[in-house]
Amino acid sequence: MSAATRIAAKDLRLRLRDRSAIIIGIVAPLALALILSTVFGSAFDSSSLDLHYGIVDLDQTDISKAFSTALEGIESEGILTLSEFGDAAAAENAIEEGEISVYYLIEPGLGDAVFSQQEFTVEVIGDIDAPTSAQIATSIAEQFGQGISTGQLSVGTAAVLASPPPTAEQIGIWADQARQAGQAFVITDVSAGTRQLDQTTYFAASMAVFFLFFTVQFGVLGLLEEERDGTLPRLMAAPIGRTTVVSAKAILSFALGMISMTVLVVATSLPPMQATWGAPLGVFLLVVAGVLSAVAIMGLVASVAKTPEGAGNLASIIAVTLGLLGGVFFPLGQGDDFLAKLTLLTPHAWFMRGLADLAGGEEWTAALPAVGALLLFAVVFGSISWVFLLRRLRR
Amino acid sequence: MKVLAIAVSNIRRMLRERSNIFFVFIFPIAIILLIGAQFGGGVDPAVGLYLGDDGRLATGIAEEIESDERLDVLRYENDEDLTVAVERGHIQGGVLLPAGMDEVAASGEQVTIEFVARPDGFGQQLQQVVAAAVSRVMTPVTAAQFASAETGTDFFIALDVAVSGGVPAPGLTVETSALGEAVFPDTLGQFDLGAAQQLVLFVFLTALTGSAALIMTRQLGISHRMLSTPTSIRTIVVGEGSGRWATAMVQGLYIMAATFLLFRVNWGDPVGAFLLLITFAAVGAGAGTLMGSIFQNDQQAAGISVVLSIGLAALGGSMIPAELFSDTMQKVAHITPHAWALDGFAELVRRGGNTADILPELGVLAAYALVLILLSAWRLRIAITRP
Repeated sequence: MSAATRIAAKDLRLRLRDRSAIIIGIVAPLALALILSTVFGSAFDSSSLDLHYGIVDLDQTDISKAFSTALEGIESEGILTLSEFGDAAAAENAIEEGEISVYYLIEPGLGDAVFSQQEFTVEVIGDIDAPTSAQIATSIAEQFGQGISTGQLSVGTAAVLASPPPTAEQIGIWADQARQAGQAFVITDVSAGTRQLDQTTYFAASMAVFFLFFTVQFGVLGLLEEERDGTLPRLMAAPIGRTTVVSAKAILSFALGMISMTVLVVATSLPPMQATWGAPLGVFLLVVAGVLSAVAIMGLVASVAKTPEGAGNLASIIAVTLGLLGGVFFPLGQGDDFLAKLTLLTPHAWFMRGLADLAGGEEWTAALPAVGALLLFAVVFGSISWVFLLRRLRR
Repeated sequence: MKVLAIAVSNIRRMLRERSNIFFVFIFPIAIILLIGAQFGGGVDPAVGLYLGDDGRLATGIAEEIESDERLDVLRYENDEDLTVAVERGHIQGGVLLPAGMDEVAASGEQVTIEFVARPDGFGQQLQQVVAAAVSRVMTPVTAAQFASAETGTDFFIALDVAVSGGVPAPGLTVETSALGEAVFPDTLGQFDLGAAQQLVLFVFLTALTGSAALIMTRQLGISHRMLSTPTSIRTIVVGEGSGRWATAMVQGLYIMAATFLLFRVNWGDPVGAFLLLITFAAVGAGAGTLMGSIFQNDQQAAGISVVLSIGLAALGGSMIPAELFSDTMQKVAHITPHAWALDGFAELVRRGGNTADILPELGVLAAYALVLILLSAWRLRIAITRP
């Protein structure tokens, strides 16, 4: 065993005996991941939207029935469920009971209006707290309405352009033809894969990486405590180099980080949380690269701070800021806006992105871009910290 | 007077700690700003858009989709980025408008538009919204194709006639109305909800992390030294408790004032809001003093304070509003004082209530405060007098 690992092993024993490291490294992230995934899981049972619609058809003509048929067609695709109600009061009652979120009200006169080319209004009445649901319901009714106006417009446009002007008989033929003709467009589905973590895994991972940046502090910041307590000069008096002392603290940080992350990955994979972290090799590489980046950044804090207290404060501020920007509490940014770009300046975001890339049963190699980004953080901040820490010890 | 001196010295200690300038004064405002920017005013479904060319149909459809106020529409430079964004969940669905749509339509063929969605999200449902927008643009195109085929007129001439509005085609109008009273009314400001949630979170957090200061007071023997002066135990206990309460109040008043000045956050009836803050800070002070008298190690206490304050805040609805919880979780939420305080603010801010309307919430909070303060006074007395 080299001098560096011996010092690190001694410190590790000390840290494990003092329960603070265990609280920060294991208890805190585990408890919070459990609470947050329960709370968020309760609010968003699934990421999908359950559309339960009702229809009140007071018209009962071919046209109004065609609308019901169109809705049933969409229902058969599994997009919504449809219930019929005899009158508006029954449907409103169903909304208050939470059985449906929206209902269509078709007053008498729809069929007549369409045939005589008069305006007619279909009403969509929705629960005020389910705006998206109502919006989709409105869109479906609008599409049905567009279908009707397409027929009207087709015949009308042909009639304007025809010379000589069409006979009534010709218009009748066109009307039939237009009803048979399809739309000039079709929307096809392209199914995308998943590169997003489920709720439970998201919080298991985000809390793990958030507290990682606190856990590794117990290693490298220990250098400042030794400096304050006067044990550092004694260590330096021994026939060991400065690099050995710095390595020892870095090894300790790395070991604490790895222990914390390993315990958390295993514990959150078990009941009650049962997080799905993805391909083990990919997760392992992300954890190693993530811990290295955390040690490197906290090493820099240790090299610039004057006192252990100052270092602790600065480290907490950096850990909290990076965590918040990295999206450990809530995802930041939408699409590729400014916040979405900003978040990628944190190791936290890359760690989460790497795990998301593994989601949906991808191979371990899917995590490699994120591993690369994390290693870049580690190398850049690690080399700066290394130089600064060695210079600090020379004094 | 001595009580006041002990309390004031606690505030002074809080302000002197340089990292507190960040955690007490900068961090809460930053979170309120970010949450407001991200979620303020509700989250509309986001749809990505990729245009294969800037032809008449592509731009027409794009503008129609973008004009939908209930959608957040983001344009992408290429279809791959759009697909990845859907996969990452940054957007719920994406529309790919292929190049050459105008030519396809002019030749009388059907235009194919692709909609990218994940099987697990609600992209499938969102497709209906996109389809409605597309069909608004495509209705004249379909009519022009029909008329052009039947009369032999050029497609684009027919299209001009169809879009001119000269041909009556009333179709159907759809009118949407909402039922019930909104949980989050439209009058709610972008930062209002987040500000109340974070106020509750941080007041409790600051009160609880203050337990570390109390532990240090005991560890360094300051409380013993105070005892050796002609100061009664009662004075010390009340003073330390008031210290926790005063620091929580500083935090709370600061957040209220800063968010009002910076983001014009509406706190509702000032008297009611102030009373809520006073009682909730007292709950926090009781909890903080209790922690400070039970724990021996300030680092451990700090760690547990963070877990407790974030955990209770999340359970109480400080992260997602408790109104969105399941029924069971709403009951669980109301075990925390946070949920009661947030109910109070909801009454004041969203429903325009006054002090009389929040009496139940104030009562529950006062009961929490009383129990915790009595408990902590008892434990602190033991902790200080223990040799």
